Amino acid sequence: MLNWNLYSRGDKVFAIVVSILIGMFTIATLYPFIYIAAVSFSSGFAAQAGKVVLTPIELTTEAYKYILVQPEFWISYRNTFIYTIGGTIMSLLFIVPAAYALSRPQLMGRRFFNLFIAFTMWFNAGLIPFYLNMRDLNLLDSMFGIILAFAVNAFNIILLRNFFESIPQSFEEAARMDGANDFQVLWKVFVPLSKPAIATITLFCIVARWNGFFWAMVLLQSEEKIPLQVFLRHTLATLSDDDEFAITQLEAAYSAETVTAAIIVCSIIPVLLVYPWIQKYFEKGILLGGVKE
Amino acid sequence: MSSVTLSGVEKYYGELRVVHGINLIIELQEFVVLVGPSGCGKSTTLRMIAGLEEISEGTINIENRVVNRVAPKDRDVAMVFQNYALYPHLKVFENIAFGLRIRKEPKEHIEKTVREVSEILGLTPYLDRRPAELSGGQRQRVAMGRAIVRHPKVFLFDEPLSNLDAKLRTQMRAEIKRLHNRLGVTSVYVTHDQVEAMTLADRIVVMNDGIIEQVGTPMELFNNPANMFVAGFIGSPPMNQLDGVITTSATGLHATVGDTSIALPALDNVKAGQAVVVGIRPEHISMSSVDGLSPVPISLDLVEPLGSEALLHATVNGQALIIKAETHGEISHLHQVAEIYAPVDLIKVFDAETGKVLNSAARQS
Repeated sequence: MLNWNLYSRGDKVFAIVVSILIGMFTIATLYPFIYIAAVSFSSGFAAQAGKVVLTPIELTTEAYKYILVQPEFWISYRNTFIYTIGGTIMSLLFIVPAAYALSRPQLMGRRFFNLFIAFTMWFNAGLIPFYLNMRDLNLLDSMFGIILAFAVNAFNIILLRNFFESIPQSFEEAARMDGANDFQVLWKVFVPLSKPAIATITLFCIVARWNGFFWAMVLLQSEEKIPLQVFLRHTLATLSDDDEFAITQLEAAYSAETVTAAIIVCSIIPVLLVYPWIQKYFEKGILLGGVKE
Repeated sequence: MSSVTLSGVEKYYGELRVVHGINLIIELQEFVVLVGPSGCGKSTTLRMIAGLEEISEGTINIENRVVNRVAPKDRDVAMVFQNYALYPHLKVFENIAFGLRIRKEPKEHIEKTVREVSEILGLTPYLDRRPAELSGGQRQRVAMGRAIVRHPKVFLFDEPLSNLDAKLRTQMRAEIKRLHNRLGVTSVYVTHDQVEAMTLADRIVVMNDGIIEQVGTPMELFNNPANMFVAGFIGSPPMNQLDGVITTSATGLHATVGDTSIALPALDNVKAGQAVVVGIRPEHISMSSVDGLSPVPISLDLVEPLGSEALLHATVNGQALIIKAETHGEISHLHQVAEIYAPVDLIKVFDAETGKVLNSAARQS
């Protein structure tokens, strides 16, 4: 147990200030989730009137009933899963070998390639050239195009490269003496030793893909290919433009706000389910015991 | 039959030459220890034999095959690393089996070989544990198991005991020696610890600044060091080295150290007035009078009791001298020591300029 008597006055003040700041940050992070969940279970009138603060007002599941019966919702949900799973696998297929190659001192032109990759973090072609590029590659309105186009992420490559560089060289040397080639060193030694780092970039990829909105909106035209985030945008636009919906919403059990909130809750659930599963890989000290430094 | 031959081996890092044309023949089943201070090139030499470092000049030959351009995995050598380099995500069994699995050996063979090796190393009860669940000594044994399991032509050890505590190091040292006697595989062992070198080696290679200073059996190096570096490196504590000047008299050759005269063995390659270094091992110094020898007055600073022996730290005309004396269970008499005797036949004389030994016995070796 913490013995406060051992701490100076300054330390106590510091600990209190830090606790308050962390508390405020936690509330600021959590509140939007709580608010959206509360709105999604509130009546359309209560949400419209701005009565919802922390808990649902006039508890109802009408907003969920409204969206869950729409086939477009399920199609976009399926698409988001395809983009997320396919995109994450595609990203890892590019990122892991690239990071390994860039971390090896014996790679010819290593400095150049590292600089080349890092360059793309700060400078890129921009919206229109990218769009034209996708058009010329016949990847517009293509599910594969969405998966492929964003497979390589310089930040994730650099993150993993740095982790690979921190793995003691003797692991690689021992594996080479044992007869392993580059792919075996990567697959049988580096990847298992890098689970925390790979879990981190996997989570980054999943979240980025799951939340991917802008490029999906720009590149996809077919309704049956859009992801959940674009469907959300379409729904919002539809409900806002629907005069009949607007007229009846004073009496309605759901409104544009509650439907939007319900879709957001539905879209958050899978990420919330995946996170704890990945978090177990954020274990520290995976290298413990393998080498003696 | 030679097992490993190094001919004119050099290593450059850019412009910096760290290994200067090494020539060494290691016989089949021999246990050779490369010893020297940090940065002397011993680990680089070992890594060149392993194939982990490129050879800048010269050739390395393993069992009649030049291996300069052969990948580490194809050299048929196994290495035990200083930091063990055990795969932390694999259990002991899989760590030992790793090399066999990579080489796609049949499952039954892997199972049988790993069990045999674990039995030899006393690792059978730990096969289901991960490296983090093992003690330092057990981890080192697993590292050795990983090397043994492939039945290589040559074992390479890169300071394998330096991370262990003193007691465990002594124990593991004996185990390595026993293992070598049992398996009879040519072994090259790198260490900076001269005690390890003395106890393990069939032959010791003393290295300094990228060159070989001397090669010989432990006792050859101890009794007949080729130069001041080897004399100062082999032996614990190392050989005392006193700066002096050659004087001749009717009673024979002497070295004058300040105002003290020390009798020297007969040398035909020195002249009066020549600057030399007088080398005398701490355990060779006598505190009781020796016939025909003049006493050497000392100024005693400190007595370090070690149990059956004690180290006496003293000075001779301002130059440091260590004496190793037997205690016979008592050290009070050692505090009274004021003069010592240096037996002439055990003294080594080195050229102060070149550092090379001038005594004929060592020159011949």
